[in-house]
Amino acid sequence: MSIVETSPRPYSREWLLSERPASRRQARLGRAYVIWRRFSENRLALLGLMIIIGLLVVAAFADVLAPHNPLQGDLRNARLLPPGADGYLLGSDDQGRDILSRLIHGTRLTLLVVVLVATIAAPVGLIVGTVSGYAGGWIDAVLMRITDIFLAFPKLVLALALVAALGPGIENAILAIAVTSWPPYARIARAETMTFRHSEFISAVRLMGASPFRIVLRHVMPLCLSSLIVRVTLDMAGIILTAAGLGFLGLGAQPPLPEWGAMIASGRRFILDQWWVAAMPGIAILIVSLGFNLLGDGLRDALDPKEAGQ
Amino acid sequence: MIDLLNKRVRLMATSAALALLLAGTPQAFAATPADTLVQGWAFDDIITLDPAEAFEISTAEVTANTYNKLVALDLNDTSKVVGELADSWTVSDDGLTYTFKLKSGLTFASGNPVTAEDVAFSFERAVKLDKSPAFLLTQFGLNGDNVTEKAKASDESTFVLTVDKPYAPSFVLNVLTSTVASVVDKKVVMENAKSVTPSDDYKYDSDFGNEFLKTGYAGSGPFKLREWRANEVIVLERNDSYFGEKPPLARVIYRHMKESAGQRLALENGDIDVARNLEPGDIQAISDKEGLDTTSAPKGTIYYFSLNQKNENLAKPEVIEAFKYLVDYDAIGETLIKGIGTIHQTFLPAGQLGALDEKPYSLNVEKAKELLAKAGLADGLTVTMDVRNTQPVTGIAENVQQTLAQAGIKLEIIPGDGKQTLTKYRARQHDIYIGQWGSDYFDPNSNAETFTFNPDNSDEGTNKTLAWRNAWDPAELSEKTQAALLEKDSAKRAAIYEELQKEVLARGPFVIVFQQTEVAGYSDKLKNYKLGPSFDTNFLYAVSKE
Repeated sequence: MSIVETSPRPYSREWLLSERPASRRQARLGRAYVIWRRFSENRLALLGLMIIIGLLVVAAFADVLAPHNPLQGDLRNARLLPPGADGYLLGSDDQGRDILSRLIHGTRLTLLVVVLVATIAAPVGLIVGTVSGYAGGWIDAVLMRITDIFLAFPKLVLALALVAALGPGIENAILAIAVTSWPPYARIARAETMTFRHSEFISAVRLMGASPFRIVLRHVMPLCLSSLIVRVTLDMAGIILTAAGLGFLGLGAQPPLPEWGAMIASGRRFILDQWWVAAMPGIAILIVSLGFNLLGDGLRDALDPKEAGQ
Repeated sequence: MIDLLNKRVRLMATSAALALLLAGTPQAFAATPADTLVQGWAFDDIITLDPAEAFEISTAEVTANTYNKLVALDLNDTSKVVGELADSWTVSDDGLTYTFKLKSGLTFASGNPVTAEDVAFSFERAVKLDKSPAFLLTQFGLNGDNVTEKAKASDESTFVLTVDKPYAPSFVLNVLTSTVASVVDKKVVMENAKSVTPSDDYKYDSDFGNEFLKTGYAGSGPFKLREWRANEVIVLERNDSYFGEKPPLARVIYRHMKESAGQRLALENGDIDVARNLEPGDIQAISDKEGLDTTSAPKGTIYYFSLNQKNENLAKPEVIEAFKYLVDYDAIGETLIKGIGTIHQTFLPAGQLGALDEKPYSLNVEKAKELLAKAGLADGLTVTMDVRNTQPVTGIAENVQQTLAQAGIKLEIIPGDGKQTLTKYRARQHDIYIGQWGSDYFDPNSNAETFTFNPDNSDEGTNKTLAWRNAWDPAELSEKTQAALLEKDSAKRAAIYEELQKEVLARGPFVIVFQQTEVAGYSDKLKNYKLGPSFDTNFLYAVSKE
């Protein structure tokens, strides 16, 4: 019996699930596989993932998929057509623009908001939280009081105030949402950091002469990531809704951008007679928010450290 | 965040449900009485019903139905005026003295006779109170010190007005048709006047009944005011001592209703007889419905957008012309303003003396591109537009944004509330501003002055007309505008205004899009329900009900 025979073929199921990974890579891939298996057991989570993948695909190929120009309408001939009218699958809005094409192009704005907010807010929260948790003392006190101040405001109201001060526009809306959404991440990261701040492996690294910077960056942050990812994914629905809310109030994306919240706002006037103008973007927001929520839920179950046996 | 939004959503859903409930419940009124007209109307702008202070659109309608003036617009030909209290009038040869002879047998609702003394008093109190509309009278050189001399009763039925310059008589008479020139009952007013302590700002010892007339009444019109409760109701009653033909209606009730949809539902239920603030969709729905009808009348308000000449690109004549070719007038007329406006391109609204009905511009992207290329802007340009957050201007702005894009002009819309955009506009800090201009009085001078009069184009200029706000120097047009004011011959005066309109049409930085039409939906039980050509001519004395 040779060793070659007992070791399973690389990348096979057995190789991935091996109790004794031979390399770091194998261990990592194995863990990812376990997470994926647990994730894929949850049908709803898969549905959420599919919605998000669908969103990405639609955003990537918006130019090909959209049957009409999302910004140029035919005011005279195509105003407020009902869904299904020739060439207008979801109807047209008060400027004679195809609602479907606007929704398709709107996915880019939605993704832009979600991705930018996540990439701004999550790292900020992570850094503040881990530094605060690891350093303790006065640094902790100062950082956490700042976080408290931000948490003391209702999120939407703070975002409204910021946008009102900075001026309406999608960039400012993103900034405002990011500024208001990092504090919970900082709290989570701090709590996680506190739990293993005095654990032995951290002490070992410190004894080996690692600087606090290195410890936080290489040993603390990675451990905080999974709970952060879950939280961010769950928050994405909230981010979309806040962006839509700002758009609805006229403070987010400006015309002619096909932002879904702004589309609902402009359809509000016709809600008695032409319901679809407001309903279609509403449905789009519902589906995408639901997708992010389902995905986040699934990720939480899959990444839960307790169930993963960490 | 999710919690927060949930709460908002819950609140919104609850209020929506409540609103539906309210809208769906038949109101206690049920069918309106046969001698009573009930109108649904948004009159939140009313601050006072004193004709010497009122300068709001809704108030003008109430005072027009309850007070009389010396002269009134001729409803059949609005470029003329006819006598109301005045039987006849003469203008002296030097153009400075106007002598009005009152009709005989006039009485106020109180039973007191209407005398020239009352007319003089009405002018005196308007000038001395010096409220917002006082400028209409003081522009003729009247002030608190000389008003008793310049506007006086020479005998029981003769009123003499002396102005400081030989203005065109049509101008003076048109101004006298406005609310501020309404005649009040001196006896009743002075009985209710309160004494005040004179101060630096106000040097008289009486308030001339200003406080009393805020909600009180001392007029002679076909209806008398019984009650006004802010944002709730206005009740008018037939004036049985009215000197003219008595109105068939015994009572007119205005109910404050803000939303178009609410008015539509109330009209359909028969809770109101007339709905006054309808949006295009609801107008369509009402005119399609049996038993209901709509009526409309063009008003003196025009909607335009203007290009600030401080912006180098927008100051180029070719660019100005290109913008005029980049509005899809026809499509906007057929959709966004359908029923609430008609396409109009000159600065005088139809119905005013000298108004020109020319529409030389239509959407022509090729021509606009040529013009832009000629101006050295073949690659297009980027400009901003300040837009108030209300319809129909936002819809029009979005549409213009699309047509401009076809010629390579990138328009960024900056939304704001009315106060924000106006403040910026008045400070000359905008690129493009879209808004409306309503005539202060039914005379071409009101609009001509604002569009073509700008003697000092510096930031310190004191005549803050629309031409000044857009930093446009109309050069010799300023003088012509003033000359028109002093032109006695109506036909010649009209010719000057026509010329001014042609100039603005050709080279003024104003892209005029449409003239507002006021629309009312009404039950076909009403007879003779009509809207007048201006906000103070929506008369009710002829209306009757089956």
